Amino acid sequence: MCLAVPMKITAINGFQCTCEAKGIEREVSLFMLQHEDVGPGDHVLVHVGYAIQKVSSQEAAESWALFDEVLAEL
Amino acid sequence: MTKGAADWLQELQNLGIETPLRIMNVCGGHERSISSAGLRTIIPANVELVPGPGCPVCICPEEDVYEAIQLALNEDIVLVAFGDMLRVPVNVPRREPRSLEQAKAAGADIRPIASPTEAVRIASEDPTRTVVFFAAGFETTTAPVASMLAEGVPDNLLVLLSGRLTWPAVAMLLNSGKPGFDALVAPGHVATVMGPEEWEFVVADHDIPAAVAGFTPDSLLAAMYSVMRQLRDGRHFLDNCYPQVVRPGGNEEARRQLDAVMEVVDANWRGIGIIPKSGFALREAYAAHDARKRFTSYADASRKRVGEMPPGCDCAKVVLGKIYPNQCRLYGRGCTPRKPIGPCMVSDEGACRIWWSSGMRENEWAGREKDTVNG
Repeated sequence: MCLAVPMKITAINGFQCTCEAKGIEREVSLFMLQHEDVGPGDHVLVHVGYAIQKVSSQEAAESWALFDEVLAEL
Repeated sequence: MTKGAADWLQELQNLGIETPLRIMNVCGGHERSISSAGLRTIIPANVELVPGPGCPVCICPEEDVYEAIQLALNEDIVLVAFGDMLRVPVNVPRREPRSLEQAKAAGADIRPIASPTEAVRIASEDPTRTVVFFAAGFETTTAPVASMLAEGVPDNLLVLLSGRLTWPAVAMLLNSGKPGFDALVAPGHVATVMGPEEWEFVVADHDIPAAVAGFTPDSLLAAMYSVMRQLRDGRHFLDNCYPQVVRPGGNEEARRQLDAVMEVVDANWRGIGIIPKSGFALREAYAAHDARKRFTSYADASRKRVGEMPPGCDCAKVVLGKIYPNQCRLYGRGCTPRKPIGPCMVSDEGACRIWWSSGMRENEWAGREKDTVNG
């Protein structure tokens, strides 16, 4: 339950944003990241619909390589 | 150029440590990566990787699940919860619903959600109905619940909070004098929110090496290398092997919201008992959204006596790393992901379920009534 996944921000509306990963779109809250400067194109770590940290695109790519393996198993 | 898993594995072997060594992780996500990547089979044979308290669903008090079931059955409410919670069994007479899933089948309005924002949406869509959000989870999951309340929620949304902190369970193990591990891999996403500093006590108070790890095999192997090298050199410190994400102080805004909405209290862990300062409770300012204050008659104190794991189930020992999942007598016999008896087989974060889905099928319970691993 404590696993967060990296997603890419595609649009922002106030504290709400739309994020994308692997072709899947999700509405994500930026309320916990309101102190950070984030915009479309940035990657964030998303847990239960909340962005908990900003991450680099490289970290996002490395994490997804792992999740592909884990998801294949579930 | 960063090191890959193979490089870290080589470094780890080059250390040449031959004494038996037990490294504990306290995160279901770590355990899943370790199991699915097969790390136990490639690291040196003298190193054991022990899954510890890393599953919030597993230790959610039985009386809290019972309270949620009774609320959903007897009040005109919508009960929402993270999907994992729906199948957690409680100890009730045969004719009564023994999980939220069974209560739902019996007619209660219970809906699985994946995010606190869904709870807000459901409450907003029908202001005439009371929505109770049964929120269990460790810091990473409880912080968004706090954030939801801090941002503001409809009057008809209440929270039945069962949030827990991870580190006090590790502190309890260390203070017991028989922790059962020589080094700790600390949870990366808990530290992302709360900051790595929470884990400094492991080194400062107990002289146990510790390293925060991410979830890729190379990050986990880097953390294992770090703590093994610390042991070899006799120089212990808290390492951060996930610096891309885990920053000093964690997410300070998230911590501020958590502190504004919730206070830290003594809390019960299923099968384990009360751990000091290990739980979250809503502050007085949020009493109007506290399901425990609105519905006072469902907190049944007498259940705390029966609020243990199901009969025969060794989940409590599994959670504390006292035995491995397949050393429980029920593992793979009465208890499988299809028909789980204990919560560690229910949750995706539970060590039993992770071991089973990684292909571990042998039951190694030898009929012994003792803590097999720690002996």
